[in-house]
Amino acid sequence: MISIDDGGMPTKRRARAGRAFVAPNLAAIAVFMLFPLGFSLYMSFQKWDLFTPAKFVGLANFRHLFTDDPLFATALRNTAVYTIGTLVPAVLISLVVAALLNRKLKGISVFRAVVFVPLAVSSVVTAVMWQFVFNTDNGLLNTMLGWVGIGPVPWLLDPGWAMVSLCMISVWKSVPFATVVLLAAMQGVPHTLYEAARIDGASATRQFISITVPLIRGALSFVVVITIINAFQAFDQVYVLTGGHGGPETGTYVLGIMLFQHAFTFLDFGYASALAWVMFAILFGLTLLQLRLTRRSALEL
Amino acid sequence: MFDQPFGRRTLLRGAGVLGAASVGLWSAGCGDDDADALTFFFQANPEEADARLRIIHAFQSTHPDIRVRTVLSGPDPMQQVSTFCAGGKCPDVLMAWELTYAGLAERGVLTDLNTMLARDPGFAAQLKADSIRDLSDTFAFGGGQYALPEQWSGNFLFYNKALFDQAGLPRPPDRWDKLWSFTEFLTTAAALTKRDGSGKATQWGFVDTWVPYYSAGLFGMNNGTPWCRPRMNPTHLNFDDDAFIEGVQFYADLAGAHRVAPKAADQQSISTMDLFTSGKAAMALGGHWRYQTFSRAETLDFDVTVLPAGPKSDRASSNIGTTGLAIAASSPRKQQAWEFVKFATGPVGQALIGASGLFVPVLTSGTKSAGFASAHNRIRNLAVLTDGPAHSGYLPVTPVWQKIDALMDRDIGPVLRGRRPATSLKTGLSRAVDQVLGSP
Repeated sequence: MISIDDGGMPTKRRARAGRAFVAPNLAAIAVFMLFPLGFSLYMSFQKWDLFTPAKFVGLANFRHLFTDDPLFATALRNTAVYTIGTLVPAVLISLVVAALLNRKLKGISVFRAVVFVPLAVSSVVTAVMWQFVFNTDNGLLNTMLGWVGIGPVPWLLDPGWAMVSLCMISVWKSVPFATVVLLAAMQGVPHTLYEAARIDGASATRQFISITVPLIRGALSFVVVITIINAFQAFDQVYVLTGGHGGPETGTYVLGIMLFQHAFTFLDFGYASALAWVMFAILFGLTLLQLRLTRRSALEL
Repeated sequence: MFDQPFGRRTLLRGAGVLGAASVGLWSAGCGDDDADALTFFFQANPEEADARLRIIHAFQSTHPDIRVRTVLSGPDPMQQVSTFCAGGKCPDVLMAWELTYAGLAERGVLTDLNTMLARDPGFAAQLKADSIRDLSDTFAFGGGQYALPEQWSGNFLFYNKALFDQAGLPRPPDRWDKLWSFTEFLTTAAALTKRDGSGKATQWGFVDTWVPYYSAGLFGMNNGTPWCRPRMNPTHLNFDDDAFIEGVQFYADLAGAHRVAPKAADQQSISTMDLFTSGKAAMALGGHWRYQTFSRAETLDFDVTVLPAGPKSDRASSNIGTTGLAIAASSPRKQQAWEFVKFATGPVGQALIGASGLFVPVLTSGTKSAGFASAHNRIRNLAVLTDGPAHSGYLPVTPVWQKIDALMDRDIGPVLRGRRPATSLKTGLSRAVDQVLGSP
């Protein structure tokens, strides 16, 4: 029998033991999170190419980014389009899928498992797989469109369509996670509310809009924030799907690609760090706004 | 079994032992048995890697005291080598590319080989007498010599002899001093393009196996205007020059207006390489690195010819594509590295390179060697290869080439898709490039 008797251990020793156990994790956070964060903030005020000593340039990187770099506006616009193009369809589809999966049907667990498959596939594998689907000449999508008389679409060759393709993949990838969260929230809604609504004659749609959605507002808000953050940080899928330049032309030139290009292709780490902090500021602002809106509507409820 | 309490001390002690053991195993696993070996970084496909290993073996048989360890590059060698060197693990000998080495040279990553050449006057004199000046000058940046060229990788045209014969067309020029014009080239490509009843091409007159926005510039250059003047550290590129633009437009029209070349959409399911290899394309733009692939296709009867010259040009040129070997400035084995570079870029290594059939040597002795000729017995127009280096126009050498490359990809793309005329480069690309060159 195992018996761990620490009832007689003095408080000081217990506290010391606690600190000892927490120390490795704290050290990891300090080394792998706090230090890089602080270092990137420091670098954002420097000009540094890895080889020559860093040179302090004050706010020059930020000034150049906002006033003298036309590609920043392009990347910001593309990222906004990508974020909205991912967020809106992903949330709507996830709500519907979660509602469908939140039923007591025979074999529903199989469907639940199938829906979550995209979440288990790596982004790079996903992008490679979708490259075949989006092939203009004989890709799966254009072949299917051909069956209904629609001509080939240059999915990855035209800048506009490339962004549409990217959003489609992102939605496909985002839906499972959002569905998991929303389904868990839906399962926490008391059944008595639905029963009361049914007695009052509310339709299934009415119940969904008036009971389910308001009561899963917290989970919905979480999904929105996470999807925005993920979309803003998009890099690996874009890199594999359309290349390190965010092509064709600047069709998929998002902030993640811009950051990578400046850091690892142009070796301009100061500028890339400044861009990273601008991205952080935008995300921080959006998250605060989202939390405030959610809190206000929760109070109104 | 667990009659004793499992105490905290026991747990911590156990964790400590496990941790120490794992650190020990990890360091042993990552231990470098070849710590004293000379490291050689290069990018190569499997066949090219074999050829390089042959050179390394030949070197080691004459220099048994120097061991060489190879470091094969991934898809982005510049990114990889930058990371290695910035992390203090710079390979001793590095493959250098004509367009990107200047960025490393400017940052002090590469050794100025003039210091080595000055200490080795015999080899320097031999190299000077045997080398092609334009190629060795490619790596002369800011007063230093940062690499010695080892292969010429300029572009020319491969053509399918059988398809020319079937169409009743005369064979294209067999030497760089025999010109064929843009118009003759277009007429030939049009005659070699075949379509089925629905209008879909079943055979293309021309395909490009290089990078399209670079090829467009090659056609611009072959219309009488160089990419820039001067070649080293230019402050302006000729994307605003009318003749250059005309050449770019001609190239774009091959796939666009004239439909003698496949558009990007036509190349998604079959590569341009496969189109040429399978006899579905009559002419292919590319460099010697394609030779092995084409020569392996037994049913393909091909030869090589020169690029066409535009109406504003009186000569046809390839491009100075060349890779060289450089030595890291931080290398602790500079003398050993120099011995290797000397071997690979000198007459012995160049003869081996020529005989491998995988590269075009950069020394006259290598290109004129019997080994090079016998390695290319499938083609008759050998002069296109052997005289290629001397008939090559330069591309700009600037430390900010990576930025120029990104801009070209962005702005020449719409021209090649037919969305914008090449004249749009005058205001868009040209200004952006000048801005980058003016304030790197």
